[in-house]
Amino acid sequence: MPNSENFDIDSLKKTWQDQMIPDDYNQNEIESMLNKKSRNYVKYILWISIAEFVIFGFINFLALFSEDFHTDFTSILNKLQIRNQNEIEFSLDRIYYWMKIFSLIITGVFVVIFYMNYKKINVESNLKKFIIHIIHFKKTVNLFIFTNVFFLLLFIGSFTSFLVFTIKQQNIHVDNPTFWSLITGVVFSLLICIILILIYYKLAYGILLKRLSVNLKQLEKIDSEKI
Amino acid sequence: MENKQKTFSKLIKDNQGLIIKVSRLYTHSLEDQEDLFQEIVLQLWKSYDSFQGNSKISTWMYRVALNTAITLFRKKTRQPQTDELQDFHSKDFLEDNDEKQQQISLLYKVIKLLPDVERAIVMMYLDDEPYKEIAETLGITEVNARVKMNRLKKILKELMIKHA
Repeated sequence: MPNSENFDIDSLKKTWQDQMIPDDYNQNEIESMLNKKSRNYVKYILWISIAEFVIFGFINFLALFSEDFHTDFTSILNKLQIRNQNEIEFSLDRIYYWMKIFSLIITGVFVVIFYMNYKKINVESNLKKFIIHIIHFKKTVNLFIFTNVFFLLLFIGSFTSFLVFTIKQQNIHVDNPTFWSLITGVVFSLLICIILILIYYKLAYGILLKRLSVNLKQLEKIDSEKI
Repeated sequence: MENKQKTFSKLIKDNQGLIIKVSRLYTHSLEDQEDLFQEIVLQLWKSYDSFQGNSKISTWMYRVALNTAITLFRKKTRQPQTDELQDFHSKDFLEDNDEKQQQISLLYKVIKLLPDVERAIVMMYLDDEPYKEIAETLGITEVNARVKMNRLKKILKELMIKHA
C-alpha cells in the first residue's frame, strides 16, 4: 500500500490502466447478450407514457361519442327545477362539443411532439444532452396529463358556475340538499382526483426524475464553478 | 447479420475492460455489475450502425457506457451498507494480494464515494483521456473539466488517507 500522505493520483494511472480484468467475457457470451431484453429507464418511461396516452386518448374518445353527459345533465337540471332547459342544454352541449374537439386536437399535437422528443434521445449524445432530452421527453407526457386535468377542471368549473348563475338568474329557491350535495360532490371528487394523480406521479417517475435532476445539477454546477 | 454480430462481439471482447470498469464503478453488487455490463453491450449494439467508425472507439464506448450507467440503468439491488460494499470489493480481489491490486481496490472504493458525474471524470482521467474528450463526453467545458479534476485530486487524496 502506498504512503497515503504522499498520494498522487497521477502515479496510479499506469496501475489503473494495467489492472487485471477478472472473469472477462468471451465472444460467445457477448453474442448471447445481444438476444437478451434491455431493462432501462427510458424504455420504462416510454411504455408508461404510451399507456398514459392510450388511457387518456380512450377517455377522450369515449367522451366524444357518449350520450351519458346529456342524460346526466338533464337529470341534474330537473332535480334543481331549472326552467328553459332546452335552451340551457343547447348552449352547454355546444360548449362541450367544442371542448371535446379541441381536446382531441391537443392529444394529436401531443402525440407528434411526444414522438419527436423520443427520437431525440440518443445514447451517443453527451451526458448533459442525454439527460436534458430524457427530461424534455418526460415533460411532454406530464404536460399532456396536466392539460387534460386542466380541461377537466375547466369543464367542471364552468359547468358548476353556469348552474349557480342560472339558479340565481331564475330566482330558484334551493330548499333541498341537492344543490349543496352537487357542489360538495364536485369539489370532493376533484380533490381526490388531483391527489391520486400527484401520488401516481411520485410513484411512477419520482426516483428516476430525482436521479436525472441530481446529475444534471452536478453538471451545471461544474460548469458554473468559478475558476 | 451474423458477420456484423461477430465483428461487434470481437470489438467488445477486445475493449471490454472499459465496460467492466464502468460497470464496477456504478454498481454495488456482482449481480448489478453483470446486468449493467449486459445493458451497456445492448446499448452499444443498438448504436453500432450509427457508429461504424465515425468516431474513436473509446469515445463512442465511453459515451454509451456512461450514459447507460448514470442515466438508463435500473439497479436490481438496493444500495448496500459499507460492510457489504467492503465484501463486494474483497471478493473481487480475493486472490490478489499484491500491492498493485490493493491500490486498485482502494481506488475503486474511494472513487465510488464520489457523485456519479465526478466518478466519470476521474475514470476517464485515469484512463488518460484528454480533457477535451472528457468535456465532450459529459457536455461541460474543457476548462471546467480541468478545474474539476484538479479539485477532485485533493478530494481523492483525503479519501485515500481516510480509507487506506
